Amino acid sequence: MKTLLTVAAFAAGVSALSTGAQAQDCTTKIGATLPTSVDWGRPIAEVAQFAVDQVNEAGGAAGCQIEMVLRDTQVDPKVGVDAAKALVDLEGVNVLLGAVSSGVSMPILSSVTVPGGVMQMSCCSSSTAFTKLSEEGKTDGLWFRTFATTAVQSAMGAKVAADKGYGSIAILYKNDDWGQDMARLIAADFAAAGIKVTSSVAVNDGQPSYRAEVTKALGGEPEALYLALYPNEGTSAVREWLSLGGTQNMILANSLKSDEFRDNVGLQYLGNALGTDTASPRVASADAFKTTYVEKFGSEPNGPGLANSFDAAMIALLAMEAAGKDASGKDIAASVAKVTDPDGTPVTADVAGFKKASETLAGGGTVKYQGATGDVRFDANGDVSAPAVVWKFTDSGVDEVEYLSLGEVDAFIASLKK
Amino acid sequence: MIGIISYLVFFTTVASILGIAVLGLNLQWGNTGLFNGGVVASFGAGAYGTLMLGGPAQDGHLGGFGLFYPLALLGGMLAAGVLAWIVGKLTLRLRHDYLAIATFGVAVAFENVMRNATSITGGAQGIRGFERPLRDVLGDGFTYNAVFLAGVLVVLLLVYVFLERLTVSPFGRLLRAIREDETAARSLGKSPDRIRLISFVTGSVIIGLAGGLYGTFYAFVSPQDVLPILTFQIWAMLIVGGAGNTRGALAGAFLIWGAWTFSGWALSRFAPVEAQLYTGSIQFVLIGMVIVGMLLWRPQGLFPERLIVSQPGRNREKTQVEGFT
Repeated sequence: MKTLLTVAAFAAGVSALSTGAQAQDCTTKIGATLPTSVDWGRPIAEVAQFAVDQVNEAGGAAGCQIEMVLRDTQVDPKVGVDAAKALVDLEGVNVLLGAVSSGVSMPILSSVTVPGGVMQMSCCSSSTAFTKLSEEGKTDGLWFRTFATTAVQSAMGAKVAADKGYGSIAILYKNDDWGQDMARLIAADFAAAGIKVTSSVAVNDGQPSYRAEVTKALGGEPEALYLALYPNEGTSAVREWLSLGGTQNMILANSLKSDEFRDNVGLQYLGNALGTDTASPRVASADAFKTTYVEKFGSEPNGPGLANSFDAAMIALLAMEAAGKDASGKDIAASVAKVTDPDGTPVTADVAGFKKASETLAGGGTVKYQGATGDVRFDANGDVSAPAVVWKFTDSGVDEVEYLSLGEVDAFIASLKK
Repeated sequence: MIGIISYLVFFTTVASILGIAVLGLNLQWGNTGLFNGGVVASFGAGAYGTLMLGGPAQDGHLGGFGLFYPLALLGGMLAAGVLAWIVGKLTLRLRHDYLAIATFGVAVAFENVMRNATSITGGAQGIRGFERPLRDVLGDGFTYNAVFLAGVLVVLLLVYVFLERLTVSPFGRLLRAIREDETAARSLGKSPDRIRLISFVTGSVIIGLAGGLYGTFYAFVSPQDVLPILTFQIWAMLIVGGAGNTRGALAGAFLIWGAWTFSGWALSRFAPVEAQLYTGSIQFVLIGMVIVGMLLWRPQGLFPERLIVSQPGRNREKTQVEGFT
């Protein structure tokens, strides 16, 4: 009896499948290499699949239903690259979502997707090495990521300095990969904004005194000080800076947005200190994503990279739709601009939005995708930026001084590049 | 069809590179009984050395000497050898599990140095922008991978023949003598410390060679490539294949790497949709079960060590002593 039931259930399942397939008799595969064996990696894959489900509900992309073939990277470059290669060679995918770690995404890019002409879109790889690789022309325009780099943070630092009218500035930065990146970027941005960098000094953590570093930074008599430090060494460095007669005009990276730093330095010395940070977008589409996410998964999308993963999948599928049937990876990559066009028809990140996008694209128009991370727009290197805030310390914590929407951030970054 | 061939070429390349590393470990553990828990340090030294010497000029970190590729690869092997010599000098007096822990510590330290010494190794971002040799001539596509595979197979064959001859030579017998009973070897006037060091360094250079080829193939190396999981993978290959048997070591490399990747492919293709999210974890369970099963039912590996009578001079014939235990 039990067997019979199973058989019946199986038959029902099969017939359900076949009726589903009648509407559209073709399936296009896309690949995903994500670390599903890691606890925080699974939701990232889940939300990508959620985006694919919505597109299928809207009738699929480029005339076909989409099947996302998901492979685990185990956060091991060897395993991730092999999985990507299998997806490209055996499943014939033209679009690859992933990976999360930069150390996995990079070898996939250099040994699988670029040689294979496959578009790769990562939700979460943040390394600036990708920007450099792209600037050298080695990604063939096939690389995109929906995760904002440190470039936004550094540009905002330059904006604050320019707005305050500082003429010269010294930089103290933490001596790790993030700090080194920040120091390099902010020095370039200050220079572009016409602000003289008097010195840029590395600070190693865990030292009892930073007198030597601070004296060096004081040497050029700067009008202001930029701090890319963490609270611990930030506190010591700023105390010595002030005790040696350094200016109270300070600009702080988001890492110093901490009550501990404020209390240990003393609020009375931080009146002229302004901080920068990236912000989550304050647009309806980001709230809409939150609502649908809660409906589907029963909790807020609080994990890392969820909104970014959703947007990565959605944009990839929109680009497939725009590129049309049987498009190559390069065609699809080239179509990304058509679906993230700031002058295009705005579409939302759901079933209705995808349908609307299909109609617009079919009529020869372009689309402005409004997603979970706001209006996504890629620069020439496949990087995105994010909205930003300028903040300052108060008695009770932190107050927002200024909110810059994505458009304003982009405009400012563009003005620096001129 | 071309897709399948292209993938197989890719798979065979990675498996062969790992196979070279397993052969190196087999010399250390299988033949000499040195429990090297820091395989990944030699592997990483080879990869980093090759990419730093052979890569184009880099801003922000050392390297970019753009050396002629074979020289860069030799440099990588040399780096692995020097590292192994220093480590060996310090730790080879230790026995078995103590040696394993010491070398494991060295490997973890190596990874941390690579991650933090940004001005030398590129830090957490790793070394990229490496120009693969002959890329201008062969392009980036299938032809390149096929030619690269041929190159790797030649290297693999050379290492294989070298180790096979070593095993049947009197030196191979000496290695086994030290493995079985050091005191006895010493009583015969041999110097186990020196021989152990030679074996350790030679094995590490071979592992470094594998690392160099690996870095070349991916044109990239980062601290993520030198995590302890690689040591585990290479050990698993040796144990499943059969320690002490060169052929077994190779077979183990192909089998374990095949199982590692094939299980992922099979699960992504055949597992029901609801289970897709969990295939990563299921895969780990399957791989673990294969290794545990091997240890339970065939601890000597698929190809157990053959007993060999080593002979000097011209009569270098392998003589298998049947039924001799």
